[in-house]
Amino acid sequence: MNIIVCYKLVPDPEDVVAKPDGSISLDQAEWIISDYDLMAIEAAVQLVEANGGKVMALSVGPSQLANSKAKKDVLSRGPDELYLVVDDGLRDADTSLTARTLAAAVAKLGEFDLILTGEGSADLYFQQVGMQLGELLGLPTFNAISKVEWSGGKLAVERSLEDEVEALEVPAPAVLAVTTDINQPRLPSMKEILKAGKKPVVEWTLGDLAVQDGLAQRVEVLSVRSPKQVNRKQIRIEGKPEEAAQALIGHLSKEGVL
Amino acid sequence: MAKEMWVFAEKPALQAELLACAKTLGDAAAAVVLGNQAAVDQAFAQGADKVFWLGEKPDHLLLDDYVPTLAALLKEQKPAGMLVGATRRGKAIAGRLGAALGVTVLADVKKFIAEGDSLQVSHMVFGGAAVRLEKAVTDIMLATVSFGIVEALPPDPSRKGEVVKVAFVEPKWKAVLRERKPRPPSSVNLAAAKKVVCPGRGIAKKEDLEMIFELARLLEAEVGATRPLTEGLDWLPRERYIGVSGAFVKPDLYLGVGVSGQAQHTVGITESRVIVAINKDGEAPLFSQSDYGIVGDLYQIVPALINALKARK
Repeated sequence: MNIIVCYKLVPDPEDVVAKPDGSISLDQAEWIISDYDLMAIEAAVQLVEANGGKVMALSVGPSQLANSKAKKDVLSRGPDELYLVVDDGLRDADTSLTARTLAAAVAKLGEFDLILTGEGSADLYFQQVGMQLGELLGLPTFNAISKVEWSGGKLAVERSLEDEVEALEVPAPAVLAVTTDINQPRLPSMKEILKAGKKPVVEWTLGDLAVQDGLAQRVEVLSVRSPKQVNRKQIRIEGKPEEAAQALIGHLSKEGVL
Repeated sequence: MAKEMWVFAEKPALQAELLACAKTLGDAAAAVVLGNQAAVDQAFAQGADKVFWLGEKPDHLLLDDYVPTLAALLKEQKPAGMLVGATRRGKAIAGRLGAALGVTVLADVKKFIAEGDSLQVSHMVFGGAAVRLEKAVTDIMLATVSFGIVEALPPDPSRKGEVVKVAFVEPKWKAVLRERKPRPPSSVNLAAAKKVVCPGRGIAKKEDLEMIFELARLLEAEVGATRPLTEGLDWLPRERYIGVSGAFVKPDLYLGVGVSGQAQHTVGITESRVIVAINKDGEAPLFSQSDYGIVGDLYQIVPALINALKARK
């Protein structure tokens, strides 16, 4: 089976710096594979290991995507081929432009049985792109997928919802967003890291694709600021454990929260 | 023309909150209801001025199968927008509708801000490290909204309104439902908890959670968790996870035990009334966001707290 797995390269959320004026700086941030997408990549690799075929990794985004370390990183996790749409016009792409660009790239990739995405992205976590992509392609589309099996040209999946798990038979090709507990992504082995540099990489720009509705964005971003901090009392309680425990209970009792 | 704001939520309690929210955003609030006559009445009682009634859902259909029906209805009626309950199914439906209609989807909105004629929304990005303010640019705005941003109105069973029956549009594809496995009913309700005890990575091994649960029992608190404890370590179910992709809590008391206080977690606790931190690392970021902090070994402090609370009973 041929699987396309979509991933996003994001500024590491732990490197986001809040400046004193409340603005946010990403200048120091390392760009990494969004951690939710690691499960999608692992799920794709496991399915191909079990059923044969190939995994095509696909990502769209700004110039950081073309960084050779970033390319090697994704390929060392098992995909056979890498397809990128690298264009600074995608730097602040909203979910709609991202999904439309992915759809245009998918159209160039040839036959496939399944597209996998992560649950959401580590930077924005809107959980939208996979669902929009599936609808744009007119394919069966589901999120919250915690198990995928391939049998007889169909997908047997489990979907973990709030109150129940749906066992579904989904016609292929389909677009599925996987949960974070679908698997435990393996760490790339030395062998895989060495192999990664020799795998085929295809790079396009937006000019190479026919993106539906062009570059129109559907969301206008007005500001990105660090959240207002609530001023807390910041009372430090000192002393031996027993004294500290008593003092804390005293404070909490006065606050009326015991 | 009157501006209608619609709501669509699979959970009645969420529908009630969304209707209260929609009433502040439009001249009229309409609910898109999938269910029986009682569900229609309930939507009116919750504040709907109008109901678009999809009828009762046959067992073999999934909620997702109604996307073409909803798309056709939105296209025909052109409301100002639709608030979609941010359950997992709701998120899938909102995304697919956004793509089908070519309209804005604002995800997980935490706040709506009316600014003249336009509507702005805010939500968290970068794992809670930043708040992003956005606005929709298309005629119809779709937004996914979770529990807790607006309080439901008191139900008024005497309210009635116009019911518009909506015909089902056959989808182009369908998945076959093989089985529904109910998940064990979650006894965890963090969003409603008045007190929350939250263990973090300072807990050395799974067995040690027993003392956290004992502390929670004595405080009559719910037990939350940071993400590593629910994913990766798998010590606790994901329902207990508090943070950017998990629960947002607003208890009177939040007690973080061995919680360092990364933004991805603290974004979910900022609305707590009193925050307490216990951590052996005095530099842990949670201290600066706490009302009370004890710098010390949780393996000594927690047993001391348990003893002191027992003595108080």
